Amino acid sequence: MTAASDNQSPRWLDAQLHLLDRQVLDVHGVPIAVVDDLELSEIPAGQEIPRDTSPPVITALLSGPALATRIFGGRPPESRMIRTPWITVREVGVVIKLSVGRDTQDLSWTERWVRDHVIGRIPGGRHTPKVEHAQSNDRGGS
Amino acid sequence: MKRIFGLALGILTAIGGFVDIGDLVTNAVVGSRFGLSLAWAVVVGVIGICVFAQMSGRVAAVSGRATFELIRERLGPRLAVMNLGASFLINLMTLTAEIGGVALALQLVSSVNYLLWVPFAAIAVWLVIWRVKFKIMENVAGLVGLCLIGFAVGLFLLGPDWGQLGRQVLQEVSTSTEKASTYWFYAVALFGAAMTPYEVFFFSSGAVEEGWTTEDLAESRANVLVGFPLGGLLSLAIAGCAAVVLLPQLIGVTALSQVMLPVAMAGGKLLLALIILGIVAATAGAALETTLSAGYTIAQFLGWPWGKFRPPAQAARFHLLMIICLVVGIGTLMTGVDPIQVTEFSVVFSAVALPLTYLPILIVANDPEYMGEHVNGQVLMVWGLSIW
Repeated sequence: MTAASDNQSPRWLDAQLHLLDRQVLDVHGVPIAVVDDLELSEIPAGQEIPRDTSPPVITALLSGPALATRIFGGRPPESRMIRTPWITVREVGVVIKLSVGRDTQDLSWTERWVRDHVIGRIPGGRHTPKVEHAQSNDRGGS
Repeated sequence: MKRIFGLALGILTAIGGFVDIGDLVTNAVVGSRFGLSLAWAVVVGVIGICVFAQMSGRVAAVSGRATFELIRERLGPRLAVMNLGASFLINLMTLTAEIGGVALALQLVSSVNYLLWVPFAAIAVWLVIWRVKFKIMENVAGLVGLCLIGFAVGLFLLGPDWGQLGRQVLQEVSTSTEKASTYWFYAVALFGAAMTPYEVFFFSSGAVEEGWTTEDLAESRANVLVGFPLGGLLSLAIAGCAAVVLLPQLIGVTALSQVMLPVAMAGGKLLLALIILGIVAATAGAALETTLSAGYTIAQFLGWPWGKFRPPAQAARFHLLMIICLVVGIGTLMTGVDPIQVTEFSVVFSAVALPLTYLPILIVANDPEYMGEHVNGQVLMVWGLSIW
């Protein structure tokens, strides 16, 4: 399977192994969602496909209420799936990194709702903890 | 100098943080019924937790991925949902037990019924999660938890017949009144108490929280390999105290006060105060860890932003979820269930669910795509497999 806008050197991706259920991070490294499904370019249904047609490409990563349908079968309505266009994918590794920030994405409306209506209203909900991230550490407790 | 200090601090934290309500209760129950004849189960459990704690820390440090992201990726949604369901419920049960433990310990100090302490304990846990820095939270709970050394002191003050204790360790079933099935049941429970699943969630997620890199690995390994076995000795001291005092008198442990009874006899009020302080710290520390683990598991599974290093507003669902879990914990305890019984159930279920949590870690730790040069060595892999 090849990607629509793969600007890296060509490499094989197994959709099941490398894309589905992978964590998606935005450009700042913030987790956005997990890939639940993939959107492929249209294959005309019920017609004979001419020999020289190019194979379908991935056009978007889909996230949304697909977990239940992946387990029990069926499909959620298209409108409820949230698309991340493949063009925004910057890197596919142990995580999928996007080249855009989170707020430009429609991915996390529940996150926004909970932030604006619950957590953001509790005093101290918006303070930034001072962390010395990536310093040397000493921890162990369990 | 700073490095040595850091190392010492880490080890002390690991010792103090090793024991939680599950270890306290299970070890005391086992000590009062079987003496030290089940010490081997504690040893096996400690080896197991050492292997997997450092493995999950290493996976998180090298790949930056925490446990439940990996579980979903590796097992697919169907198996992972079952895994998540089981792990989450057990974790919730453990969380309830820990909060109950804090409340019971506070009841012993204050003579105020523990049910009244439950909401305060839960709110205190929430406040710490809401405001306190991750590292401070870890270190304070671990260091104050060191007061549990009082159990070891108590054992020495009791002046037991060491030869007899030694013989108990080597015997298989020490009392004729107990059935073999009960013996094995408690062997499993001890194993579950030492290797509770939340420890792995917490360890791997904590490594991400603190931004571990491969350079921190040596130190973390030292913390785990020195700190946990010493913490295991504390567990054995608890069992030893019960074996010396409670076993001969056929006193069964059904309450936290009985866990402390031998220490009170040996060391008087002062030692008792120390122990109670230690128990409050140990159970509160574990309550923090289980609450965070509840958030970690679901947030990682569903791909939400998570972590204490973010402002709560930027990990909103993660924080909301933890609040809900604490409320459920309060509600459960308020029905009047015996926290000690909840603890016993939680350790047994933990043991049963162990393979669910530990297998994906084992798989990923052996996967060079994630681990690069830090994949498991063969010795570790054999250890991991045999424990699993």
